[in-house]
Formats: sequence, structure tokens, C-alpha cells
Amino acid sequence: MHAIEVENLSKTFQVRIKEKGMRGSIGALLHPQIRQIKAVDQVSFAVEEGEMLAFIGPNGAGKSTTIKMLTGILCPDGGSVRVRGLDPVKRRKQLAYQIGTVFGQKEQLWTHLTPYDNFRFFGAIYDIPDRETEERIGELAERFALEAFINTPVRNLSLGQRIRCEIVASLIHKPGVLFLDEPTIGLDPVVKENIRGLIRQMNREYHTTILLTSHDVGDIEKLCRRIIIMNAGQIVLDDSMEHLKQYYLSGERREQERNGEIQVHGSHARLHRHEDAESVDSSSMSLEDIIMEIYRAEGRTEVI
Amino acid sequence: MKKYVKKPSMHETQRYVCGGLRGRPGRKYGVIYQSVLLENLQYAANLAMGFFSYFVFIYIFIRLWNYMYQAPRELIAGYAKEQMIWYVMMTEMIWFGSDSGALTRQVITDIRGGNIAYMMNKPYHYTLYILAKYTGEWSIRLPMYALLATVIGTCMVGGIPGFRVMLLPVMTLCVVLGITINAVFKICISLFSFRIEDATPFLWLYDKLILVVGTVFPIEIFPEELQVLFKLTPIYTVCYGPAKLVVDFSAGKCIEILSAQILYLAAGCGLMFWIYGKGVRKLYVNGG
Amino acid sequence: MSTAVKNQVRVCLLSVKYNIMREMVNPVTFVTNILFMMLNNATILVQWFILFRLRGEIGGYTMKDVMLLWGLTASSFGLSKVLFARVFSLSELIISGKLDSYLVQPKNVCLSVLTSATSTASIGDFLYGLVLMAFSGFSVGRLVLFLLFTVTGTVIFVAFTLLLGSLSFWFVRAEMAGGQMVSGMISFMTYPDGIFRGISRFLLYFLIPVGMAVWQPVHIMAAFSGIADNGMGVGAAGQSLQSGLAALLTVAGYAIALMSFAVFVFYRGLRRYASSSLMEARM
Repeated sequence: MHAIEVENLSKTFQVRIKEKGMRGSIGALLHPQIRQIKAVDQVSFAVEEGEMLAFIGPNGAGKSTTIKMLTGILCPDGGSVRVRGLDPVKRRKQLAYQIGTVFGQKEQLWTHLTPYDNFRFFGAIYDIPDRETEERIGELAERFALEAFINTPVRNLSLGQRIRCEIVASLIHKPGVLFLDEPTIGLDPVVKENIRGLIRQMNREYHTTILLTSHDVGDIEKLCRRIIIMNAGQIVLDDSMEHLKQYYLSGERREQERNGEIQVHGSHARLHRHEDAESVDSSSMSLEDIIMEIYRAEGRTEVI
Repeated sequence: MKKYVKKPSMHETQRYVCGGLRGRPGRKYGVIYQSVLLENLQYAANLAMGFFSYFVFIYIFIRLWNYMYQAPRELIAGYAKEQMIWYVMMTEMIWFGSDSGALTRQVITDIRGGNIAYMMNKPYHYTLYILAKYTGEWSIRLPMYALLATVIGTCMVGGIPGFRVMLLPVMTLCVVLGITINAVFKICISLFSFRIEDATPFLWLYDKLILVVGTVFPIEIFPEELQVLFKLTPIYTVCYGPAKLVVDFSAGKCIEILSAQILYLAAGCGLMFWIYGKGVRKLYVNGG
Repeated sequence: MSTAVKNQVRVCLLSVKYNIMREMVNPVTFVTNILFMMLNNATILVQWFILFRLRGEIGGYTMKDVMLLWGLTASSFGLSKVLFARVFSLSELIISGKLDSYLVQPKNVCLSVLTSATSTASIGDFLYGLVLMAFSGFSVGRLVLFLLFTVTGTVIFVAFTLLLGSLSFWFVRAEMAGGQMVSGMISFMTYPDGIFRGISRFLLYFLIPVGMAVWQPVHIMAAFSGIADNGMGVGAAGQSLQSGLAALLTVAGYAIALMSFAVFVFYRGLRRYASSSLMEARM
């Protein structure tokens, strides 16, 4: 069984358009103009149990909408979703016991309480008996090195410590699937690395399936073996990280061979290849560049 | 939602201020006023919702005074029934028309949240900025309430005995002064947040004083000893004064109330600048 | 089923406890807020002293009846804001899309949302209500009745607010309308029903649930005291114990019915939230 199965998933939003200024407001009042936006358009993919998957795309590409549909917050207009075999809309509560969510920009911890109290609260939410919660907290605290600050109110923690606790809090009920929405946003490089370590460890030790969105290429490169790129509501690429680099380069190469000449593009990486195409290895081109190229190829670097 | 709309207007203000209007210091408050006024026009439809509360309040008082006055020609504390109801309508009009978030929450939020540190380096005086912003808010709302009061009064109560349209400008002036004095006092109280953690409870108390003692009954209805006391509080200039002039005008009263208002305004502003100055100095010392 | 309920209650109580703990971080502010709230409420009594100076009874109420009326309103309102404070900002949560985090929890969304905030200053409202009740004539029987009606009043109050707040699932502008209706309700709650006649009285019993929230309870309590000592005021009419009990059950039934309806509307709205045409507000 796949951890996540998505088929032809679609979601359309209606957005009311308003022109600038007073006249616009009055106009919108009299003749409301509605535009349909396909936030997610016929998306299909599947995730294996225990897989770590990066879900990326420019702002407004439909990542968050997709995650909301996977977690039962939004219901889809079309297509089907199964997360651990459950339909998120129909079995929202059952599913909730099996998934964890961390939204980097939204705090779910009570800031005036200690991480310990917070974990107790989450234990109660997921109906875990006190004793079991206690054991679980002990285990998590030890494994993810939280002992030093587990009894300090969250508001007194550093951002990095806080995010660690946010993530650990989502593990109290041993979710099989974890959704991490930009977990490293706003963190400095050292802390980022620290959080990545935690995520990696979680995946390794609990075999947790992880779906991660991030704008930070480092997160993706260092954590995930598979990557899905969304743009304008569609999946434009779904491949393994290794393939991505190879494919991109070999695709270029084939094109060059077909043309019988090597074209010089503006990109630094390609200039490099011009000198000796055969010696190019994927490491000479950063993932960031590749991703940018893919966004650009779709003609939408800036969306909404 | 409002918050997001406000932002650009402030930037705009700043641009104006930096863009060569430095020579006319009064102008910037005008621009602050203007931008908030425009923003509030958009919300005029929303503000009309407050009409409902006003109506409920007035309706209750109409019922109440109808019950209290047993005979049609009876006078209570020198007021006929129509005067008594119109008095409440006027004070409540001032109360509802001038109720504003800019005044009740913003100063305290700015100080507690530390926003004030950014605001005080702007090329305007913070308290006047708040005052201008506030004026922008009520000057769209008050006329609407005035209109509503007129409609309700005419339909459900009947005209005010001895009312003369000629005197409307004087009455308006008195109302405007009353609202401004109220605002200055409320800013003063909000500025206490520099010293104590949260001045909100004091704002409540002040509001309660105005609301309970000032808006519901004319001062004359209270026992003699209290009347003297109340005349010394802001109640006299904020709500009693304007409402009294509307329901029971006399030249003597008019001069008395207007001069009291000017005195209060001057004293209130002095107090406001003083507290603010002290608070800012404290902030510099403690570094926010 | 019963464990699910138990777990739900456990989470709600923890939530309230944690909220109060947050306020307790600064105990001085905590206590001052409560005291100020009580003082704040007490100021309103001035109005009634003045009014009762003019006339011995108003709308059939004596000063003691008005104090009971006020006490019941304050306690019901206070309890609502201690246990279910979020209901008063429900519209805002809906419009800004903040229900998401409750939707990923395996708990009753409605209850989790409502109990997710606490206004500790409102403890002052609740206590003030009790104090007023004591002044209006204390007896154990009255206290029991008072607490019972505080509960029904809270249920009615929360239900009505929930109902109005849920309208935001459909109309963004409902936020303000709801707030106005709720404050309107409070205004009516603090005046004797005897000053209202005809249609307005009818509406206050059936459209805005003021009648069942406080007026009817005040009548029942006055009648109860009337049976005990045959005093004057609202209870002077004198009712039998049976009819009093029937009236009490009517109030309780009404509270349950209104709450059921409000919860039903909330979940209908939540379905809409999940299919989200509200997205325009959230983007």
C-alpha cells in the first residue's frame, strides 16, 4: 500500500476581482467579476511508505492547496486522494491520528507553556493515556536532545529550539505520514542543518513518510531522494533527485547533438559545458539553477 | 483586513512628508486625516452596522422613559419626556459616532508591542498623528449617526421643543470640541501604558464614567452634591454640554459650556504632551 | 463513544487550564483585570439607583430584581467568556482561514475551537454576578437556581453567538452584523422585560433569545422566593411549584434546542469552509 495516493486531484477557486481605488470598490459592489483559478489541476502522484519527498514550486503554484487536500482541511473538486488508505474528507478524524503536520509559519505550540506541557496537551488531543504520553515524551526528548530546554517556556526558546519542539510535538502520536510545510523558514544555516538532521533521523528511526515543502534548495537536496515540482497547479516534474540532474543535463546534451553544435547560452553552467561537454558532472550545476531553469521553462517565475 | 489597507496610506503619508512639504508642519496631519478618511469611506457600508446597536440602545431608552413618565406633561429634573429622550440620543450619538479602535486600542498596542519606537522617529508628533487619524475616523461616522438620530427622533419621539435650526453651527462646534476633548483625555490615559503594563482597565473606567454618568442622564437628575462634582469632570464638557445645548439652548449656557470646553482642551493637550514627553524619555533610557 | 466524550472533555479542560495558566504568568495583571472588571460592572448600578429614586418599580422590577437580572447576565456572559471565549472571535478565525489547525486534530472541531481561548478578566463578570445575586437576597435554594440558570444562560448565549459567527462561512461581512447582534442582546438583557410590549417583547423572546436567557429565569427565581416568603416585585404574582418546574424545564429545553441548531449550522458552514469559496479572503 502506498502512504499517499493522489489521482487527478483538482481544485478551483473563485476569486473576486476588484479594481483599484474607490471606483473599483463601487464597481465590484455593483458588478462583481469572478475569475476561476485552477489552483490544482489534474495532479497525480504516489508516495511509498517511508519515503521522503520534496514538494516544491514557486509561490502560488498550488503546493499548500495540495497539502490542505491531503490533510483533510480542504476538500477537492475532482480526483481522488488516499492517505494511508483513508479518504481525508470522509475520514478526517481517523486520518488525523495517523498524520502529523508542521507549518513553519504557524505556531501550534502554546508559547507560555513549556515544551513538556505542550506535549502533554498534544497527548491529550490524540487520546494517549497520561502514562504513555509520559514515556513517549521521555523517548522523544532523549532521541532528539530536548532535555536541556524541555522545561523552559516556549517563548523563551530560540527559534531553532522552538521549531525542534514544533516538529517533535507532531510526533507524539507516532504519525505514519508527516507533512512539513517550510519547516526551516527563517532559520540560520546552522540551525537549518540541525533541523534537517532531526528530520532525517525521524525518517530513519520511525520510518515516517515525509512530505516536505520548502523554498530552500538545501533542504531538498540534503533530505530528499525524490522531488516533485509544481507550477501553476500542475506537476511539471516528478523524479528522483539524481535523475533530475542527469536528465536535465543529458536532455540538453541530446539537443545539442541534434543541432550538431553546441550553443552558448547565458548561463554560467552552460558556458562551462561548452568547453568540454563530456566532462560535465551534475555537481557543477547547482540544484537551484536547475530548478530555476524548470520554473523558467514553464514561463512562470512570478506567479500572483 | 483593515490593517493591510492602512499600510500603504502610511507610506504615502511619509512620502508626502519627505517630498518637500516640510515647510508646512500642519499639512502632514491633514494628509493623515485625508488618507484615513478615504479608507473609511470604503468601510462606510460596514460602519452602518453600528446603527443597529445605536438603534437598540435608543429603542430601550425610549421604552424606559415612556415607562418612567407617567403623565404626558410631567417634568423630571426639569426635562420633558421628549427632551430627556433627545438628550440620550445626542450623548449616544457622540458616543457611538466617536467610538474608534484608533483611540481605544492603538496607543496601548503601539506602546506595549514596542511599535512606538518606530513611530516616534517619524517626522510627526505621535499624539497628533493619533488625533488626526481619529478625527478622520469619526468625521465620517458622526454625520451618519446624526442623520440616524434625526430620523429616529422625528419618527419615534417627536421634535425637540424650542429647537432652532439657526443654532446648528454652534451646536456642531460644541459637539466637535466635546469629541476632541474626549480623545485627548483617552490618549492621556492610554499613555499610562508607558508606566504600567496595561492601561486598558483605566480606559474602561473612564469610558464607564462617561457612559454611565454622562450619557444616560442629564447631570440635573443626580443629587445636588454630585452635580457640583460632575461639573468638574470631563463629563460636563464631553457629553453633557453638547447635548444640553441641543435639547435646551440658552445663550448663557452656551457661553459657559464653550469656555469650559476651550479651557479643558488646552489643559488636556498640555497634559498629553507632558505625559508623552516623559514616556518617550523613559523609553530612551530603558531602550524600549 | 463514552471514552471519546471523556477524551474530548479532557482536552477542553486542559485547554481552559492552559489558557488560565497563561494569564497567571503575571498574577498582578490577572487579579487587577478581574477586579477592574467587577468595578466596571458595578458602575452601571449607578444608573439603576438613579432610576429607582424616580420610581419605586420599573417594568414590574424592584431594585433587587434588577440586581438579580444583572447578576444573571454578568455570570452567564462571564462564564461564556471564560470557557468559550473564542466564539466571540469565530468570524475572524473563519475569514482568515485559521480553522485549519483544528481540522488536522482528531477532535470535535466545534468544541476545540470554542474552548481554545479564555478571557480571564471575565472571571470578574462571573464573580460579580454571584455578588449581585447575594445582595438580591441570598438563600441556598436561590444559589442553586442561580447557578443552574447561569449554565442555561451561558448555553443560550454561546449558541446565539455561534450561530451568528457561523454566518461568516457564507458572508464575510457577517462578522460585524454578528457582533452588533450580540451586543444588542446584552443591552436588552440588562433591562426589565416589563418596559417592552407587543411585538418587541415577542421578538425578544423568540428572535433574540433574551427572554429565555435571563427574563424567564428571573421570573422563576422571584416566584420561587415569592413562594418562600410571599414578597413583592416580580414574584408577587405567585406561582405554584409545578408551574415553576415546568418553566424551568422549558428554559433548559430551549437552551439545548438552540445549541443543537447552532452546532448544526456551524458544521454546515464548515463543509463550505472545506470546499472553500472563502479562498479569496485567504489568498
